[in-house]
Amino acid sequence: MGTHKLLEVSNLSVEFETYGGVVKAVRGVDFGVDAGEVLAIVGESGCGKSVTVQSIMGIIPMPPGKITGGSAKLKGSEILGLDAQAANQFRGKEIGMIFQDPMTSLNPTMTIGAQIAETLKVHRGLSTKQATEIASELLIRTRIPEAQKRLHQYPFEFSGGMLQRAMIAQSLACSPSLLIADEPTTALDVTIQAQILDLLKELQSRDGMAIILITHDLAVVARTAQNVCVMYAGQIVEQGSVDEIFYKSAHPYTLGLKLAMPSNVSQQNKKLEPIPGSPPDLFSPPSGCGYAARCPHAMRICHKENPPLFSDPREPHHAARCWLQAPGAPKTEGLHQLHLIASHGE
Amino acid sequence: MLKYTFGRILSGLVTIWFIATATFLAMHAVPGDPLMNEKATTPEIRENLARKYGLDKPIAEQYVIYLGNMVQGDFGISFTQQNRKVNDIIQDHFPVSAALGILAITFAALGGILWGALTALYRNQLPDIIIMFLVILGISVPSFVFAALGQLLLVNINQWFNISFLPVAGWGTFSHMIVPSLVLGLGTMALLTRLMRSSMLEIVNEDFIRTARAKGLSPSRIFFQHQLRNAILPVVTVLGPQIAAITTGGFVVELVFAIPGLGRYFVQAVQQLDYTVIMGTTVFYGAFLVFMVILVDIIYGFIDPRVRLK
Amino acid sequence: MIPHPQLQAADFTAEPSTDSLEQLSRPSLSYWQDAWIRLKQNTRAIISLYLIIGLALFTVLGPFLWTKDPSAQDLDQISQAPALPKTALLVSDYEPWMPPNAQGHPAEPAGYPDTLDAVTNFTTVGTPNTQAVRFTWSPVQDAGGYSIYRSESEPNGLQGLGLPLETLNAGNIVGFEDRLNLKSQTYFYSIIPTDGFDEFEVVTTLKVTPVQSITVSQALERGLIEASDAPGRSVSLAFHPFGTDYLGRDMLARLMQGARVSLFIGVVAPFIYVLFGVFYGGFAGYLGGKVDQFLMRFADFVVALPFLLFMILFKIGFGIGPGESGVLPMLVALILLLWPSTARLVRGQVLKIREQGYIEAARLLGGKPSYLIARHIIPNTMGVILVTLTFAVPSAIFTEAFLSFIGMGVAPPTPSWGSMCNEGVKTMLSHPHELFFPALFISITVLAFNLLGDGLTEALDSKMRSRE
Repeated sequence: MGTHKLLEVSNLSVEFETYGGVVKAVRGVDFGVDAGEVLAIVGESGCGKSVTVQSIMGIIPMPPGKITGGSAKLKGSEILGLDAQAANQFRGKEIGMIFQDPMTSLNPTMTIGAQIAETLKVHRGLSTKQATEIASELLIRTRIPEAQKRLHQYPFEFSGGMLQRAMIAQSLACSPSLLIADEPTTALDVTIQAQILDLLKELQSRDGMAIILITHDLAVVARTAQNVCVMYAGQIVEQGSVDEIFYKSAHPYTLGLKLAMPSNVSQQNKKLEPIPGSPPDLFSPPSGCGYAARCPHAMRICHKENPPLFSDPREPHHAARCWLQAPGAPKTEGLHQLHLIASHGE
Repeated sequence: MLKYTFGRILSGLVTIWFIATATFLAMHAVPGDPLMNEKATTPEIRENLARKYGLDKPIAEQYVIYLGNMVQGDFGISFTQQNRKVNDIIQDHFPVSAALGILAITFAALGGILWGALTALYRNQLPDIIIMFLVILGISVPSFVFAALGQLLLVNINQWFNISFLPVAGWGTFSHMIVPSLVLGLGTMALLTRLMRSSMLEIVNEDFIRTARAKGLSPSRIFFQHQLRNAILPVVTVLGPQIAAITTGGFVVELVFAIPGLGRYFVQAVQQLDYTVIMGTTVFYGAFLVFMVILVDIIYGFIDPRVRLK
Repeated sequence: MIPHPQLQAADFTAEPSTDSLEQLSRPSLSYWQDAWIRLKQNTRAIISLYLIIGLALFTVLGPFLWTKDPSAQDLDQISQAPALPKTALLVSDYEPWMPPNAQGHPAEPAGYPDTLDAVTNFTTVGTPNTQAVRFTWSPVQDAGGYSIYRSESEPNGLQGLGLPLETLNAGNIVGFEDRLNLKSQTYFYSIIPTDGFDEFEVVTTLKVTPVQSITVSQALERGLIEASDAPGRSVSLAFHPFGTDYLGRDMLARLMQGARVSLFIGVVAPFIYVLFGVFYGGFAGYLGGKVDQFLMRFADFVVALPFLLFMILFKIGFGIGPGESGVLPMLVALILLLWPSTARLVRGQVLKIREQGYIEAARLLGGKPSYLIARHIIPNTMGVILVTLTFAVPSAIFTEAFLSFIGMGVAPPTPSWGSMCNEGVKTMLSHPHELFFPALFISITVLAFNLLGDGLTEALDSKMRSRE
């Protein structure tokens, strides 16, 4: 393609130096986001999804964090490993970000209005008065009632849901082309979750803004995203469109996540099946597939060698990192078989 | 806020009553009687003296009179200097102690915040290591050693350069206050520096600092606007108790530097067993400290919106 | 694009993992094991721990190894700075010395001279020692007398001659004896001829270092020599590695005895009041309700008492009888005033723990209150209590030092580090070691306990624990 993707991440690797050794938190992640697209990154806690996006934003604490390789290109230009001054050309301006816990993610001693206005003053050089006016509009846009009064209130005077709206208002201040939402609904009540997701979708469809949504909740994914990356143990194990991920799951882990998800559809006696065990210790990632120890279909090769991403030529965005997709592998019940070109080897 | 202030003042008054009562009881538990080291040679003189100080009345009555006088702000007459009222002594000497104390706490607070912020900024680098080494010294060395060393240093500076750089002891001008207040504030400054440093380092890991970085704010703006301001709050909360430490530390500094403050007077009164002066100054100091703590709490309320608006 | 290697059919045989899925990747450690491991990694805390052990040995075993009596006065070495063992020249008991007369030289000059020559042949007689330094010189033509000065630093011509020792009013007296408070150090003696009234501006200076001396009878009295020893021999004086104080008492022995007082108060008082505070606070916290409110109200009042003022008040209240050291009253006063902070802390902890899910779970499983307290509540407050105790020690030591410094502490002659500082500060300008050593010991002790407290806080912090 001639045009660049909005954000293109390739082979990103991140490590953390800790007391107990080096944690390889992200191990070569590739994905891209188009303008106006909603991409969800799913995975259980500790799989590296938050580290991935925070590394792109340059906000992981360094040290102990360290980006050991890869690149992230925003509209074609590299944004990984920039110094604070250069990074601030896109942070808050081109890419907005909201976090998991709105209660602790806002400065407790500054008014909401001042915190939103701050972004505008820094990136657009507005006066306090102009910035506050825009802040008020932003609060209205994120459906915060009594916006004028709310501007002068402090975070502790807000409820969780209202705070997350204020966070969104703040991240939208400079009309970014990409919004990264790092588990935006995890800390909120279920009813509030739905409102926030609706708000995000609405803003996205109206402004044509792209969103990267980090979550561990498949229901949230189904509701919001167009494309999905499933992460496990610091790697993307399956990626594809929402439909592909949900109806043509090609990785046993995705399948496991689905079985562990409650649903209100049809099947009467559906039993929730937890995935046994826990993710591998990333101090020393296994040489084989990270999921092999928990995988009910594990084969000899799975313990020896980490599988590559197998992608389907007919559905080029659908790919899975699983030996079961290799040509010659046994067919497994319930698992979608990617249509690979039977070729070399054997 | 108003209700909060009112409540604090009320409980402060109750505390002062408790202090006054405890003082009264403690003084009356003393074996022997206060006239022991008076020149009460004959029984008549003793009786007259006892009558003069109201010591012939039953304890309960003495207590009521004592409280009554105190409410009117009358602490009685000194035992050793019989023409001097305790009130006069306090009036004469407290302003000196207060001036010294205010300068010391100002110096300690400003220094503590500045050094603490610096150490956090240069964490594990040379400035941090040097300042934290000094802080550990400041916490571990007793105040009287600082006072003695401060004076020794002054004497030497004046000798080496053959000038009177700053007066070695005494009271009167601002230059008399500088070294004593520095010495007095040193321990508190060390404590505040430590507190400020840990507070700063804790705040660096807060989510809202991450948000500020994600917003694209410059490091200096994050430092001043977001980190420093929030880090100062816990420092302010310990200022109240630290005022008490500075007050008692003042005793030593006043002794060493020959400053005519109330602290030195109190120590003297204790050594001479001047009962009315001891009781008067104890209650006065107690009341003073209680209200300083309340004052700091109220000031804190103004700085922290979470307290102010609740 | 699939870079797959040569895969064999065998690679695809099913081989589910045989390891237990629920295995833990790291070994499980108890709370205290974990804390100990972390404390061991903290070099400063471990050094502090060794320091504290060292101080304890110094206090307990020290007096057995260094048996010098802390109250014995060594009058030969008063305010002696720390030094290697010293020897003294044994001299015979003092006998008056007649300064020599210059034969044939007039006592008074015939007239008043316009100039006088400087004194020549200005020398000492015998071995200059700390008993006496004796001089003689050649008489100066026309001089009517001589003035003699002594200085500890080298005079610059006529400047800085120092202490005027004597003015002789006869030109023919050519000897002088200095017995004024002599020490074993270098002195500069200057002599100026006079016409009987005025000094002339010519000076002769002599550098003299008297040797430390002791008379035979003194040495016998102190048991330094046998009766038969003759003057001229050198004898070893008592060794004071840390010097002596203003009364000639051995500093090391006093520091050891002082450590007993300071550390006794510094360790025992916190131990008792923390223990009391734990019971008081635990009781209040566990019972809750009205009892709790009443108990804590009372604790609040005690906290509000200006602590040092009341310490002093209590000290007066208990009184110190003759022959008492005043350690006990100070201990009682400390305990009476300091327990509430621990009580508050423990109560807060207990209230917090009481609401925790695992207590609820244990209760639902049928745990009795005594079991809950012993098995769950106390173990979970131990960390906080230990840290409080560690930090309480330096503050108690400071308090003792402060009180002793203002003369309200331990009564003399019992030494404590604080009262030694109090004595030392008076001679700070001339003999800084008398302040330096007790202050150093206080500082090291306080430092060690503070650093250990910091280390414990970090090691016991459960937040830190989960962070790894």
